[in-house]
This record gives sequence, structure tokens and C-alpha cells, in this order.
Amino acid sequence: MQISDEVSRGLGPSYPTRPTAPDVQKPYPTAIRVIAVVAAWLVPGAGHFLLGRFGRGVLFLVLIGGSFVLGLSLHGRLYAPVADPLTLFHYDLISVLWSFAQLGTGLCYILGHALGFGAAYRPGAPTYEYGNTFMFLAGLLNYLVIHDAFDIAAGRKR
Amino acid sequence: MHLLMMSLYAAITAIVLAAIEPRTREMKSKVFHGLKIFGAFLGIGLVLSWILFPIPW
Repeated sequence: MQISDEVSRGLGPSYPTRPTAPDVQKPYPTAIRVIAVVAAWLVPGAGHFLLGRFGRGVLFLVLIGGSFVLGLSLHGRLYAPVADPLTLFHYDLISVLWSFAQLGTGLCYILGHALGFGAAYRPGAPTYEYGNTFMFLAGLLNYLVIHDAFDIAAGRKR
Repeated sequence: MHLLMMSLYAAITAIVLAAIEPRTREMKSKVFHGLKIFGAFLGIGLVLSWILFPIPW
């Protein structure tokens, strides 16, 4: 069986040795990456807006912002770390974890505390736990969205 | 009420996870991926609720 001849040997070098990766694009400058990540944390979807992914930006803003507002309207609680001098770390670890989860919503969390929404929780309400869960969901999903915005800015995905 | 909230939770999570999934790029495969996540959330939730229901705690 003939494997190569003069013609095929001449064609060889004209083909790329490695297949091009269509999902990879040129990375944005470092300043844009930092701004995109901070914006994505402050306002869900804002990082994608900055990077020109308007559809995904609107989707994340509606879903994550909506989840946070739904949680508040269901009488959920905006957590803040609670000091507990009797424990090893001097803080109630559950409240620290819940606060970290909700902190992912950025301005929603900060403004919620500043405007006093965090004080309006009602543990006796039947929807209290649902409200908490939706606010945790909003924050944790936004951490993933921030990571997605960073990956786009770094040129790792489209 | 609980099933409605669980469905809403699953839908929000499935849409966001499908949107940021890097391996699927076409809209059709993203929708399919989202539906799989949504179904997994609901299915596992219902199965777990049936398993945990008889346990008295």
C-alpha cells in the first residue's frame, strides 16, 4: 500500500500541525478582567454586559436578582456574621456560611442591609425557610456567574 | 406549595447552569442540558422525600 508520494509530501507542511480551537478567543486586558469580575459581583450579569454577552447578562440579572427579591418577599433573612465568644472562632459558623452565600449577590446584599430589609425577616412565617433558600441560591449562583465572566474575559470560553 | 418552590428552585438553577456550561454551545443542546438538570433536581428531590418520609426525625 502506498502511504505517501511526491504530491502528498508537498502538501504536508501546508496543513496545521494542531487543530485550531474554536472556543478559545483572545483574552481581554487585565484591567477589563478585573472590572468585569467586580461588576459581575456587584450586579448579577453586569460582567457579561461589559464583555458584550448581553443575552446572558439579562438572563442572569433577571434570574439571580429575581431569586433574591423573591427570597426577601418570602420573609427570608439577610444574614450577617453573629459573634459568639463561646465558640472556637468567636463567630457562629453557620451565620458566617449563610452570610458568605448571600454576599455573592453583591449590591443586593449590601443595599438590603443598608435599607433595612435584613431586619424585616419573620422566622415564624411559613415561607421563611423558602425565602432563605432563594437568597442563598441567588448568591451561590452569582459566584458561578462571576467565574463564567472571568473565563470569558480570560479567553477560555466564548 | 413545597413542590412549586422546589420546581422554581430547580428551574432557576437549571437555566443558569445550562447557560454557563462550556461544553455545549448550540441553543438546542443547552436547552436539552438544562432540561436534564431540571429533571435530575426534581427526580432526586422526589425520590429523597419518599425515602426520608418514614424516618421519624
